Amino acid sequence: MGTTVSIELGEDRPDFELRGLITSVCDWLHEVDARFSTYKADSEVSRFGRGELRLEDASADLRHVLDACADLWRDTDGYFDAYASGPLDPSGYVKGWSVEVAAARLLAAGSHDHYINAGGDIRMRGNHPDGGPWRVGIRHPWEADKVSWVLALHDGAVATSGTYERGDHIFNPRTGRPAQGLRSVTVVGPDLSVADAYATAALAMGESGIAWLAKRAADGYDSAVVTDDGRAFSSANLPAAV
Amino acid sequence: MRRSTAAAVGTLTGAALIIGVRLSVTPPEAPVVAAPVGNLAEGTPAPKPSSKKPAASGSKEKAPAKQKEAAKPKSGLKDGVFKGDAAANPYGKIQVTIKVEGGEITDAAATFPTANDSATINPPAIAALKESTLQAQNADVSAVSGATYTSESYVKSLQAALDAAKA
Repeated sequence: MGTTVSIELGEDRPDFELRGLITSVCDWLHEVDARFSTYKADSEVSRFGRGELRLEDASADLRHVLDACADLWRDTDGYFDAYASGPLDPSGYVKGWSVEVAAARLLAAGSHDHYINAGGDIRMRGNHPDGGPWRVGIRHPWEADKVSWVLALHDGAVATSGTYERGDHIFNPRTGRPAQGLRSVTVVGPDLSVADAYATAALAMGESGIAWLAKRAADGYDSAVVTDDGRAFSSANLPAAV
Repeated sequence: MRRSTAAAVGTLTGAALIIGVRLSVTPPEAPVVAAPVGNLAEGTPAPKPSSKKPAASGSKEKAPAKQKEAAKPKSGLKDGVFKGDAAANPYGKIQVTIKVEGGEITDAAATFPTANDSATINPPAIAALKESTLQAQNADVSAVSGATYTSESYVKSLQAALDAAKA
């Protein structure tokens, strides 16, 4: 998927154990890339997209991904759309989901304090090595070396979508035109795949995405938004560091 | 009887808000608060923050203010939270809820449609997101969340610098 993953384990454990945990996360993410990348002609997703693989023959993971994309399409009034660019491209869900699975596997392997950052989308658990919460900065949309919010979390996910990286490559699926109005959307909540999809959908909505995001707070998804003209908005329960 | 009073008040509040919303979609030459929100309705991509905020909160505050004038001369309202009937306008349905404490309306809120393009006419003040000044901090953080779509952009990111510092 052409993204870089940073992993930090906060535990005081023998070096070989920590290395083993990180290796297992990397193996899983490489497996996901091989099976779900739309850039690989022989991936399961590509074969399914071309009609060479029937739904009933697809893996349980692929069927889960397709179901989740359909649910999110409904939840976002169609603004999260795995078919937005034409052929099936569930990458917008797969990234967050694969990190969720990786983090769950870390927990199952006894790691209670960790974060995984996949291309700016982060899932974390437990404590920073200093015993406090993980402090997560939200990148300033114009100044790459600055942050515009600092969050403090023990357990949760933070996903950011923005137009500052891909320029006009985020489209409003309703109009087929590039999304405009919002420069950066960050969603914080329990599940990284949902947070990521919500951030992408709100960005595609443009300014009306602010009102849409406000309603997601009731389900535990808080948000922080920067508009194209530099206004900043955040929900009341955004876990901002003090 | 009290209930019908509350319902009438709810409808009246609803009417006030509908007028507010309708004003917002009339052309800019329409009076007072209409102009800034009108920009939003016409799809101007980036309305000025300063002009929009007062307009949006203005239309929201207007309803309770009018209510008090209308309600005071009458016998006291029953305390509680009351919902008006959902009122349809060309852009969808609006339902107004009011809160009455000590016989006075202390709060009013409206639910707005968000589906389709009607969402664009909703004043952002209805949303629970609050506006603040955009910060640019050099913060001490463990990780950075941002739109980092390629490995090239990772190389230039703050996260990469943090990773390098820890390695």
